[in-house]
Amino acid sequence: MKKHLFPWLAACLLLAGCSGLPTAREMGDMALLRTLGVDPSPAGVAVTGSTGPRAKGLQGEGEAALTLSADQASLSAACLAMQAQTDSFVFFGYVDQLLVGQALAEEGVRPVLDYFARNAELGLGAQLWLVRGAAARDALSAGGERGLDARLETLGNDSEMGIANLTRTAGEVYTDLLELGSAYVPALSPAGEGGAVLTERGYGVLKGGVLAGFLEGEAAKGLELLAGGPAADIIEAELAGAKVSVKTASARTESALAFQGGEPSALKLTCRIEARLSEYRERPAGQALAALQTELARRERDRLETALSQLRAMGADCAGLGAKAGMFCPARWQAVQADWPEWFSRVPLEITVEVEIL
Amino acid sequence: MSKQAANGPHPRREPRLSGPLSLARLEEVFSGCVDFSKREVFLHGDSQRKAAVCYIDGQARSERLNDYVLRPLAQDPMLAAVPESQLFELMERGALYAHGAKRLTDLDPVASALINGSCALFLEGRDDCLVFPVATEEKRSVGEPENEPALKGARDSFVESLRTNTSLVRRRLRAPELKIREHIVGRQSLTPVDVLWIDGIADPDTVALLEGRLDQIDIDGVEAAGSLEEYLVDAARSPFPLMPYTQRPDRFCQGLLEGRVGLFADGIPLGWLLPGTIDQFFKTGQDRAYHWLAASAISAIRWLCALITLLVPGLYIALVTFHPEAIPPKLALSIVAAKQEVPFSTIFEVLIMLLAFEVIQEAGLRLPGPIGATVSILGGLVVGNAAVDAHIVSPAVLIAVAIAGVAGYTMPSQDFGNALRLWRFLLAILASLGGLFGLALGCAGLIYHLAGLESFGVPYLAPFTTGTRVPRGHPSLFRLPLPMMKWRDGPIRTQNRRNQR
Repeated sequence: MKKHLFPWLAACLLLAGCSGLPTAREMGDMALLRTLGVDPSPAGVAVTGSTGPRAKGLQGEGEAALTLSADQASLSAACLAMQAQTDSFVFFGYVDQLLVGQALAEEGVRPVLDYFARNAELGLGAQLWLVRGAAARDALSAGGERGLDARLETLGNDSEMGIANLTRTAGEVYTDLLELGSAYVPALSPAGEGGAVLTERGYGVLKGGVLAGFLEGEAAKGLELLAGGPAADIIEAELAGAKVSVKTASARTESALAFQGGEPSALKLTCRIEARLSEYRERPAGQALAALQTELARRERDRLETALSQLRAMGADCAGLGAKAGMFCPARWQAVQADWPEWFSRVPLEITVEVEIL
Repeated sequence: MSKQAANGPHPRREPRLSGPLSLARLEEVFSGCVDFSKREVFLHGDSQRKAAVCYIDGQARSERLNDYVLRPLAQDPMLAAVPESQLFELMERGALYAHGAKRLTDLDPVASALINGSCALFLEGRDDCLVFPVATEEKRSVGEPENEPALKGARDSFVESLRTNTSLVRRRLRAPELKIREHIVGRQSLTPVDVLWIDGIADPDTVALLEGRLDQIDIDGVEAAGSLEEYLVDAARSPFPLMPYTQRPDRFCQGLLEGRVGLFADGIPLGWLLPGTIDQFFKTGQDRAYHWLAASAISAIRWLCALITLLVPGLYIALVTFHPEAIPPKLALSIVAAKQEVPFSTIFEVLIMLLAFEVIQEAGLRLPGPIGATVSILGGLVVGNAAVDAHIVSPAVLIAVAIAGVAGYTMPSQDFGNALRLWRFLLAILASLGGLFGLALGCAGLIYHLAGLESFGVPYLAPFTTGTRVPRGHPSLFRLPLPMMKWRDGPIRTQNRRNQR
């Protein structure tokens, strides 16, 4: 009898709900938030969440995106306040996109990333975007009934295929901030009528979790080369009176540190680029091809120098050039690691660009 | 008789009928038996010499009785001419044309012989008798195995006749090392049960263990397969079958060649192979017929389907009600949309649908073929579709339960499939209590349960859990090319492990 007592007792406790097991929650009454925007507010922090378009039942027509917002002293209080705004259970486990307003970035994004890292539902898998020149709430509201998640998802997919800016997850940015002290975040800006469309506006650079500046245009392209993920880029060149278009396929930048007397004397960067001819009248060969490679190398070198000059001015090595170089000389790197942002601003640069046309 | 004595086990009498043999006593034994017949014959018309032939109508074949026993008795002049003292010996030595003749003096064996289809010949003034086998051979002919259809291989299957089954085996394994030993089981049924093994390959200890357990069975009759299975192995504490069986002689012979011990019971058209390990329930007779790559792929699919049928309902409950973040967003959105108008909880939905699936299956099995198919179509398609349209269940639940159900049909062993069906319910309930934690706990319990099972001293999970000193056989999940399968399984303690050069 004693042998069977424990299983029976355990079964009774389980069935009576005294188990400490997780509570069941039906998905039918859940509002699955897909996009979350965070801004500063007089109360503390303003959080806005959007579900994206929903289906109302199997045969029902599409229902407009549900947008919730709350201004509270803390992020957790704001999230809790959003629960009370709808009949559905607001579930944060599907937040794939995190928008941070420029004003919040200027104050610092660490508290937001800390909250995401520690929250069991949110996690750090969401893609992080910086809303340039506007608040995240405005960007989310501009999404209207369709919401923003489809647009942001498309940008993410385009980035994977190399035809849009690099995307970054909250986890990647958080890791870079912790390990490198700085990170880059893709920036978006509302455009069009009423700001209904979000367009790419380069990258925001965070230093110590605070917005240090933006890289745009050629500088943004240079950052992509440094980070090893160039977005598909078409470069036109004049070659013996004929116009030739070249598409950048891939790029890889290697860095190395030279030391003199225990101090860094030069940061050597070697950028290897592979490109394909996309438009030409006659396929260039021989000297013409060499000339084209030289011209491409010059253009890409300019981009790299532009990006590096801005990053050095900010003192933000967000591409991790020093850390990558330090892996080949760990003892020396350990000695300069703490002061690397200063060294990065003043150490002489030696840039080599190698272009191969496939 | 006291009540306690009436409820207690009745004494087992050996022999059943004691005392000396006589025609009168034999008639007394079979009094009240309408099929007992006695025919008196004058030997070659001599009214001074009278013989009586007794037999059981229906058990004895009339033509044999008439032509080979009664006709010589009535017409052979030699039988009238020999002295009475030599008459019996003459008949025993060939005056009657039966392939066997036995002189018996005890009542019990004569009664048994009559029941088995022999006839007993009594001469006036003598208390012994001659028994001639004239049994009828009416039985179902050897047909195709319905439960284990063959696309590429032999199409014969075992039948209810024990001797036919042993002959089907003997025709495939012609070596005299194939031994067949008979035991009688059942007080009232007196069912012959045969143990088969190949001497020099099978483990003699397993044979002895099986025979010992057979001898210990003291039941009224062997009327179903469970009458043996539940007495030979400790089946009460587990729904998992411990004695694999087959209808196919080729597969049965393959088992004997692997070193297993076979078992037949008269009246049951299948053969058991012992000891049973879990991999036996995933093998089919076709595995060795197909190319090894195809057979391996199909085998892997069967193992995968076992996991699917076991886990999918529980996994669905756990993910949808406890861990929705683990579901891909687009699938989650469609589940949310489908669930919005369904009034029941996911747990209730899944359990009810699992139950409905079992009900439809059971109804389809119990009805005659064409009606059964109609019930399945009505139940599965029409009612299922209507239930989704009426928002009684969500389509995702219907799909999850249907996938689990269909995956269960890939199990070659119906018994093993039934055990998985029971555990599927249990795991679904555990998942509804504790999500993935409950499901993992259930899986751990299942592995613990399986690891504790044994069949004739061999661990049920032997293909995966043999100790370091026990030689392993070949992989169970896949089938290697046959020339590479040189070893018999170690855990079944075969006497000769090498099966080819």
